[in-house]
Amino acid sequence: MALNARRGGKLAYKILFWFLLISLAPMGLVGYHLINISQASLRKETLAMQESLAVGFADTVYKYVTTFKNVLTETSGLEDFAGMNPVKQQQYLNRIMQVHLAVLELSVVNSSGLEVLRTGRFLSSSPEMRKFGSEEFFNETMARGQYVGKLERFQGLYPSLTIAVGILDSKAASPTKPVGVLVGKISLNGLSSMLSMEFPPAGKSAAAVVAPDGFLIAHSNPKEVYKPDAKLSEDVLKIITTQMNDKGGGEIALPDGSKLLGAYSDVKDMGWVVYVQQPLETAYQTAAEMRTQILRVLVWVVLFVFLLSWAVAGFISQPIRVLREAADRLGKGQFEDLPEIMMTNDEIGELAQTFLTMSDSLREKTGELIHAKGELEKYGKDLQRRVEARTRELKAAQDELIKKERLAAIGQMASVVGHEIRNPLAVINNSIYFIKTKLGPTLEADQKIAKHIKIIESEIQQANGIINEILTYSRQRELKPEKVYINGWMEELLSVYPFPPHITLEKSFTPVNPPIEIDLVEMQQAVRNLVGNGIEVMPTAGKIKVRTAMADDGSAVIEVADSGPGIPPEVRDKLFTPFFTTKARGTGLGLAVVKKVVERHRGRVELDSTVGVGTTFRIFLPVSQKR
Amino acid sequence: MPQQKLPKLLIIDDDAHLRESLAEVLELDGFECHQAGDAHKGIEAAVKVLPDVVIMDIQLPDSSGFQICQDLRKRSKTTILIMMTGRFLSAEEKKQGFELGADEYITKPFDLAELSVRIKQLLSRNRV
Repeated sequence: MALNARRGGKLAYKILFWFLLISLAPMGLVGYHLINISQASLRKETLAMQESLAVGFADTVYKYVTTFKNVLTETSGLEDFAGMNPVKQQQYLNRIMQVHLAVLELSVVNSSGLEVLRTGRFLSSSPEMRKFGSEEFFNETMARGQYVGKLERFQGLYPSLTIAVGILDSKAASPTKPVGVLVGKISLNGLSSMLSMEFPPAGKSAAAVVAPDGFLIAHSNPKEVYKPDAKLSEDVLKIITTQMNDKGGGEIALPDGSKLLGAYSDVKDMGWVVYVQQPLETAYQTAAEMRTQILRVLVWVVLFVFLLSWAVAGFISQPIRVLREAADRLGKGQFEDLPEIMMTNDEIGELAQTFLTMSDSLREKTGELIHAKGELEKYGKDLQRRVEARTRELKAAQDELIKKERLAAIGQMASVVGHEIRNPLAVINNSIYFIKTKLGPTLEADQKIAKHIKIIESEIQQANGIINEILTYSRQRELKPEKVYINGWMEELLSVYPFPPHITLEKSFTPVNPPIEIDLVEMQQAVRNLVGNGIEVMPTAGKIKVRTAMADDGSAVIEVADSGPGIPPEVRDKLFTPFFTTKARGTGLGLAVVKKVVERHRGRVELDSTVGVGTTFRIFLPVSQKR
Repeated sequence: MPQQKLPKLLIIDDDAHLRESLAEVLELDGFECHQAGDAHKGIEAAVKVLPDVVIMDIQLPDSSGFQICQDLRKRSKTTILIMMTGRFLSAEEKKQGFELGADEYITKPFDLAELSVRIKQLLSRNRV
């Protein structure tokens, strides 16, 4: 099955694809939106938090400043203090200095702008008194009762703030008009300390308090403040000092490509701005973590869905694959050994049922087809065999017909020629006889004439022999078969045959001595032809072996062998053809007659010849069944 | 020996040479020979000469030898009728010829000595 799952799992892949699409697409969409929404809200919240931090610190700053203002106001409001008794005032001032370490310097200025009392942490016991009549804080305080402002670097180092309050004497004629001014310089280092505590310096995270003119009042990194020309970067300053709102925040792109999340808040009544910044990554760390979390969950879900879909797809497509495999095998004609098909209770089960029915019917039909095909092939072969047999018969018949026609033509011609030649032969014969008779005794005297007459007579005999041979061959004579025993018949035939003296005859007869049915005249002629041929090829000396035998197929055999020169293979085929001859004189009918006669007796002639050794002819004849 | 009448012999053949050679040979043997070139003349000669022996070819230009044979046999029961042939005759033909009255068949070329003896033999049997 593993093989098939790999080979034919397209359906499974399709199901898998749609499963994933259906389940993952909405989830991805939701996840995407979820991330976006959460990101946005988280960012907003982060920003708000940062803003609130800025606002909170702005409040702290305000309270810090207000605390000192209140201390001064309370002190200046004391009855003792308003009496402008320098001794008493000195006591108060000393106490303030003791309690509030951030107070650097305290002075009392009379209503005409002259400094009447001065105390400070870094002053000698009798410091120089100054005139403040034209100073802004003095005029402001005299006019409005208080002054907060004038930022400076105390002794060029740390930022300080000048706070002044009017000294009001409730017993005076006009109690709302100050009788003098209590002025103090407050160190703002405490703010930096508080900032550094609240915003521990890390990376680009920072918090600062700045004046609208860019003066750096406090910084989460206190070292920044001590720099001679301490300022925030121009980009940041520009943004926060030009804001219309008293608080806000947002992302700030820096020239170096990094982004910061910044928030600011105005300090109430002061015009100062608290600024808090942290790198975007840090600010959005939670958001990023959340996104990662969501993505991780998504990945798990995808994985889970994928595996689930895979399993489901496999489960659904498995029976179909099995069906397909079964169909494949069926297609290849393998009806046996089909894979096991599950019968589920659904459409696939029904399909399987249909398939099984179909395969049964197909098997049946295929069987019938194969059977029919076999039958057809058998018939076809039979037909072909019969056609071939008939064709052979026809061919044989045609050959036979041609042969017969040819023989008939030869016969006709031979008979005409024979008749026409026999007439002149008869005339010559008669004339010679006449001469011979007429000459009588004269002939005996002239031996030469006698010799020539003999020659003419001999040639007439020869010509007549040839004509006889041709006529015999062409004659369609009825066979007159007689039953003879082969050995006796042969013995008689050989005994009257005129063997010339240079020929040795060797006879060997089978002890079986089978009877044969032959036309004596024709068969005798055939055997004589064979013997005569053998003698002719051995003009000086030789041996004729005549043998009778029984062949393996039950035929009787007459064998005539000579020790002549043999017959070259190229000639053997034509040997039995009428008028074919290798002799200088001869009709070429001798062996043709043998063949014709033997075949007329339902026998056959065979030839065995080795050049230089001799030739053997065998006549095979059926043994007579007559009793 | 009284003056014996020579036996009369009629030869019917379309070949003049054959007729003459045969006639002259048989004249040497003591026959009175007459000749005819076709069946018509043959019949005429036979009527006129009344031959003891007729030697005729089976094939003649104007008729079959068997036809003359039949004709002559009707005229004379004793005349010896010898058929000459240049070809083999089938047993059937020979049988037919004998039934029509032929006494003998000879195949060309024939042995004249043998023929002469055979004719004399037949003649002497007739006289008896």
